[in-house]
Amino acid sequence: MKRITIIFTLFVALIAFNARVAEAAVVTSEATGESAKEADDEGDFNPKEIIFEHLGDRYGWEVPFNHHKSIPLPVIVFASDGLHVFSSAKLEHGHVYTHKGAQFMLSDKGKVVEILPDGTLKRPFDISITKNVCALFITLIVVLLCVLPLAKWYKEKGYKAARGFRGMMEALYEFIYVSLVKSTLKENARRFAPYLLTVFMFIFIMNLMGLIVVFPGGANLTGNIAVTLVLALITFFVTNLNGTKHYWKEIFWPDVPLWLKFPIPIMPVIEIFGALTKPAALTVRLFANMMGGHIIVISLTLIIFIFAKMGVAAMSGATVVSMIFSIFMLLIDVLVSFIQAYVFTMLSTIFISFAVEKGHDEHQKHAEAAKTVPAVPLTTHTGNK
Amino acid sequence: MELFTPDFGLIFWMFVAFAILFFILWKKGWPAIMTMIDKRADLIDKGVEYAQQAKEQLDSARADADKIIAEARHRQADILREADHMKDQIVEQARDEARKAAQKEMESARLAIAQERKEAEKQFRDQVSEFALDIASKVTRKSLSADQAQAKLVDSLLDELETKN
Repeated sequence: MKRITIIFTLFVALIAFNARVAEAAVVTSEATGESAKEADDEGDFNPKEIIFEHLGDRYGWEVPFNHHKSIPLPVIVFASDGLHVFSSAKLEHGHVYTHKGAQFMLSDKGKVVEILPDGTLKRPFDISITKNVCALFITLIVVLLCVLPLAKWYKEKGYKAARGFRGMMEALYEFIYVSLVKSTLKENARRFAPYLLTVFMFIFIMNLMGLIVVFPGGANLTGNIAVTLVLALITFFVTNLNGTKHYWKEIFWPDVPLWLKFPIPIMPVIEIFGALTKPAALTVRLFANMMGGHIIVISLTLIIFIFAKMGVAAMSGATVVSMIFSIFMLLIDVLVSFIQAYVFTMLSTIFISFAVEKGHDEHQKHAEAAKTVPAVPLTTHTGNK
Repeated sequence: MELFTPDFGLIFWMFVAFAILFFILWKKGWPAIMTMIDKRADLIDKGVEYAQQAKEQLDSARADADKIIAEARHRQADILREADHMKDQIVEQARDEARKAAQKEMESARLAIAQERKEAEKQFRDQVSEFALDIASKVTRKSLSADQAQAKLVDSLLDELETKN
């Protein structure tokens, strides 16, 4: 029964999503029709534009079934004359808004720009609470709601096993903590686990929220390079700031024949590149995977409108096919959401484990020290001879 | 395309959001959960170990009990057998003693009888010899009773007679 409910919910959500995209398609075609001065006339519907409009960020949160209204969000900009905070509703539909003597409008890229007195446009320093930023804080709250109740439960009830939602979350944390972090980092696990678990939960919830099509979700966060870049950079700093002597030696003076590192430092350069490409790889992997998933789902939905020109029969057929494929893709995206969060956490764990590794030399030293303990009387004996 | 060119505002807020989240969870969330996961794993390990030990102890205790019971049975059988043996012995001894006593009694009786008989025989012989001597002295009219040689002769005669009888 529950399964049927879930499937039904998904289905309804998908219909809502499709409706939204459909409207978006109509509106963009209208909009392009209105501003028909540009090359793409005839009000042609442009899938690429719709896709990127949906994946991108904006200064307001659109509501379902109505493309003309959106939930206004605060715009925070440092213009040439100082800080300006105002509602994003003021800028909608291409209005020019004057706030405390400075004029603002949205550029054709959809960004807030300041109109300088001489008429030129200048992009101010912009830290607005955009749709994505708002979604970030919603994600933050959701993650807190996932984690804190379990922590509270344990503080209060001790060994008693958590049930229901808490139990489910605990299984997830245990999976990450025990089988990933602990088995990779061993004695360092407790030091880095809070970071890794936070990263996992943050990415996982962001991914899932991105799959929900209406208000609290719908922002394409992990498919935005800024978000993944920050996460990858944090991992980069955590890794390198905790690097052991062995780690740095491996980078600047690795165990290779001398001519490979002196006088031309071939290996060190390669190693430094390796260290720098790790965050880049993390950034692009998560970003590309999540954005790809979103693009596929939106494209599948847009098939309906591409076929719509060919008549009712083609459109109905395309609708059925696109629905089935969209549902399939969304279900795969749920899986991908988990896998990508897991992969990001796993790679971070592995990078950190490389950095905090003591190295073979020190391990050998320890081993030798352990060996020499029983060997001490033997050496003194031979010394006496 | 803004997707590929990171937007500063979003980077800034992402960093802030992550920092807040990490700080809260680092202080309030994860330590309790991790501690409990670790502790529970330890507890389960210990529990399993304890159960194994308890089982081993129980097994050994049972084996001990079995051994003790077997030993007790063995001893009981031994005691019973010994008692049986002792009973037999006592009965045998008693029987032996009784037999010996009876034999002794018979022996003494037989001895007494033989003694009596000897005495009677001796008396009888003395009398007979007296009679004979009397007869002989009457025949010879000569008192021979004091004569030792005569008496011996009569004695030997009587012996002869006795053997003839």
